[in-house]
Amino acid sequence: MAFAKPLATLRSSTGIPTGRLAIWWVLASEVVIFGGLLGSYLMFRLGHPEWADAAAVTNVWIGAFNTFVLLTSSFTAVLGHQAAERGDGKQAAKFLFMTIGGAATFIMVKSYEWTTEILHGYTITANGFWAFYYTAAGLHAMHVIAGAVIMGFIAVDAWRGRELQRVELIGIYWHFVDVVWIFLFPLLYIAK
Amino acid sequence: MAEHNESHGHDHGHDAGHGDAHHVNYKRIYLTLLGLLVVSVAGPFFGILWLTLLTAFGIALVKANLVIQNFMHLKWEKRIMKWVLATSLVLMFLMFAGVSSDVMNHEGRNWENVAAQAAVERGIGGAEGEAEAIEVEPVEAGFSAQNTYNLVCATCHGRAGDGTGPAGAALDPQPANFTDPAFWAERDMERIVTVIRDGGAAVGRSPLMVGWSASFTPEQIQQLADHVATFRPSGE
Amino acid sequence: MADTAISVHHDEHHAHEHHGPQGILKYVWSTDHKMIAMQYLFTGMFMAVIGAFMAYVFRMQLAFPGISVPGYGQVSPGEYNALVTNHGSIMIFWVAMPVLIAAFGNYLIPLMIGADDMVFPRINRLSYQIFLLSVLILLASFFVPGGGFGGAWTAYPPLSAVGEYNQTNLGSSLWLLAVALEFVAFLLGGINFITTLMNSRAPGMKAYDIPLVCWFIVIASILFMLSVGPLIAGAVMLFFDQALGTGFYDPARGGDPILWQHLFWFFGHPEVYVVLFPAIGITIDVIATFARKKVFGYKLMLYTTVATGVLSFFVWAHHQFIAGIDPRMANIFTITTLLISVPIAELCFVIIATLYGGSIRFTTPMLWALAFMAEFLIGGVTGIFLGASGADIYFHDTYFVLAHFHYTFFPIAIIGTFAAFTYWFPKMFGRMMNDTLGKIHFWGTVIPFNFIFIPLFVLGIGGQHRRIYNYQHFPELAGEGMYTLREIATVSLLVMLAFQFVFFYNCITSWRKGKKAGKNPWNANTLEWTTESPPPHGNWPEGLPNVYRGPYEYGHPDRDEDYWPQNQPA
Repeated sequence: MAFAKPLATLRSSTGIPTGRLAIWWVLASEVVIFGGLLGSYLMFRLGHPEWADAAAVTNVWIGAFNTFVLLTSSFTAVLGHQAAERGDGKQAAKFLFMTIGGAATFIMVKSYEWTTEILHGYTITANGFWAFYYTAAGLHAMHVIAGAVIMGFIAVDAWRGRELQRVELIGIYWHFVDVVWIFLFPLLYIAK
Repeated sequence: MAEHNESHGHDHGHDAGHGDAHHVNYKRIYLTLLGLLVVSVAGPFFGILWLTLLTAFGIALVKANLVIQNFMHLKWEKRIMKWVLATSLVLMFLMFAGVSSDVMNHEGRNWENVAAQAAVERGIGGAEGEAEAIEVEPVEAGFSAQNTYNLVCATCHGRAGDGTGPAGAALDPQPANFTDPAFWAERDMERIVTVIRDGGAAVGRSPLMVGWSASFTPEQIQQLADHVATFRPSGE
Repeated sequence: MADTAISVHHDEHHAHEHHGPQGILKYVWSTDHKMIAMQYLFTGMFMAVIGAFMAYVFRMQLAFPGISVPGYGQVSPGEYNALVTNHGSIMIFWVAMPVLIAAFGNYLIPLMIGADDMVFPRINRLSYQIFLLSVLILLASFFVPGGGFGGAWTAYPPLSAVGEYNQTNLGSSLWLLAVALEFVAFLLGGINFITTLMNSRAPGMKAYDIPLVCWFIVIASILFMLSVGPLIAGAVMLFFDQALGTGFYDPARGGDPILWQHLFWFFGHPEVYVVLFPAIGITIDVIATFARKKVFGYKLMLYTTVATGVLSFFVWAHHQFIAGIDPRMANIFTITTLLISVPIAELCFVIIATLYGGSIRFTTPMLWALAFMAEFLIGGVTGIFLGASGADIYFHDTYFVLAHFHYTFFPIAIIGTFAAFTYWFPKMFGRMMNDTLGKIHFWGTVIPFNFIFIPLFVLGIGGQHRRIYNYQHFPELAGEGMYTLREIATVSLLVMLAFQFVFFYNCITSWRKGKKAGKNPWNANTLEWTTESPPPHGNWPEGLPNVYRGPYEYGHPDRDEDYWPQNQPA
């Protein structure tokens, strides 16, 4: 199907390129989604000190490793952006593939972690803490997977030297996913 | 189509506020982030609560800020987008402020959240073993005729089956009284099942008794009928 | 909006010769904003018919309890609950929003800012397809065992969370899924609108040259985007409660049902402004055109609306005054709620000031716009009673509330829609609507509307509470006088529904045989009237316009004509 970008997409009355403008608005809406969920969790957690017993079970080392993985993937994502700015599509794609690798690692570690926890009886219905744990981390994980898939498409395009400006955009989204985890980590693993 | 794609090569030239980006040392920021991660993991080992909270959340704020300003380049972004993001954050604080007085607290003026207070006192056992689910009457754990009767039928027919449920008070005719021998004198179990399933109108009685065939299976309706029969006064 | 530098990209004036998909498949693959707008419009109108049918059925039951409703049959209590639940949900989420925001926003924004399409046409198409999916899922919920969800459009747990309570286990999950998908569709669409308005304006169109209807639709999109997040989180939690048995809202399991109420209304209140702002924007544009007069206080209106939007985030708990919230919160929310009536009253005054001294033409769109102001005013004033928490102790959950929000929602969703539809019909379809039929339809809708809901105010004051399928069960509400009022309301509804056939007849005959409209039948200023009716793919194939002035330059003293299109050089 022949699709041509309309002239509207190329205009920029604000000075911000259209794609980047849109991504910021996506992030604004995601802030209120995760903010609503984490805010609700915080209210319950602060009102239920006894949840500390349930939360003690989460493995801070796995959480820290996953944090390390996501931080690294953010690093490779921004390096990809740097390469795209130079016009080097192939290098940008390589960095994006590394980022996707980080995403995959994150998901695999999380699967292992969750499987272990579920087999020990810590299911989503076990109590309030675990309900929030799986919901919040699960929603985050879904965003990781979705982001990785879209990043794959952008990486393939970049490899062919096309639509390089999108490398920055998926990078911004990716950093947001990282930031959410930066807050989930202490909430669910450290200051339990 | 080709000409539109080519035009994106020009887009980089229009990234007006982006010139400074290349002066950021991404590697240094990354290593700083890792260092902060180590500190935040180490925090709890000192066992001081305020220190743990500081390292956990304070560092989270710092890390997030580093990522947002430097990796996302918000530092060099036009002001309008900073305002938009700040607004969404402020709204989250607003939501927390407005809701927490009801959800975080377990008592206030003229109200108490009894269930939550009990949960806090009870605590969650089994940190060292398997997690135990809080004992509650399972809602979805199979069909219980008694539970269903209490939920669905008792509002009219009463918990004791005597037709004095609160919703029945205004009805005319009054709901059936299962403890009345006269009720059972002219009815058999098949009739009870029919009325539960198809409603009062199906046997020429009041349509105020509705039919429940859409809500329960035949087996469940039979169990409900059996439960109704338990109200029957003995000796009949 | 810092837009001192409007970067003009090359090839602005290249002929955009690309054609969209042809044939029947164009309804699936087209990314043209006008096609997508039509899809939203017709889907929304189809859902309006369904929602109206539901209203017809339950109003018949209310006025004539036990009746076998013609075209439906007897209404059981469970069905009654499902009807009122889905009537409300449909009218808000699947009629008001798609028609006012998605349809007219999609159609008008690119045209009014001089662009050839939205900035992300494929995401635009995706948003409609997700919306369509949500429609199908909602409709499917009526046919599953148990039937459609019956827990009220507000879906409070535990009624909505526990299948044994609401008796519509499958239907409630499908409803929730449909609502969630609708939210996603509007998030995607909203991003398109906001980005397009911010970035893709014609050269020379500064921020204050944008027609107010575009501003208001985009402000509504922003409001939606910033308020729906907590509810999406809450809906995920409710879904888990329904499907997995978690206890987010179950006190026995450590949850709290009041959390849902807060999450719902934190969105729910801004939501009513999300649908209000586009309707006001439409009203302003129509009034400016048919009063042949510049809008009184463009910037005033714009900033007032922004202020109202901001304030709308601070009033949500007035829906929960007697739900057991902290009474100190009730004090705060009373004050903010009464405060928010001020900017809206000010908007009314500004619109009246626009009319004053104008050369008023009572065309059908103008009648609708004026009716919007009059009826919405009644709705707004009655809101003040409800905003006072003391009075609300009595009024909450009575028909007074219901009449209040119908006096606000009906003008927004129905009157506003008809104003927009009759005004832009010539542009969309290239033909003029029959004005006489339009006026008959207008009076046949607005007059019966008042006879439906004024009785409901009276019933509400008399103590009639909501969501009861048969008031014969409550002797104090079953008196003859009360039933007379119910019958008046129901019969008026039947009359109003009958007059809608005039509208459909007018649509079809005008579309096929109406007088050809030409480019600018109303002699209006804004950019959409400078191209063909209907506009071709790409909107201005010969080159996108430049803009030289604001959108409301009517009655300029130095000119012969009483209008001055935006794209004419000085």
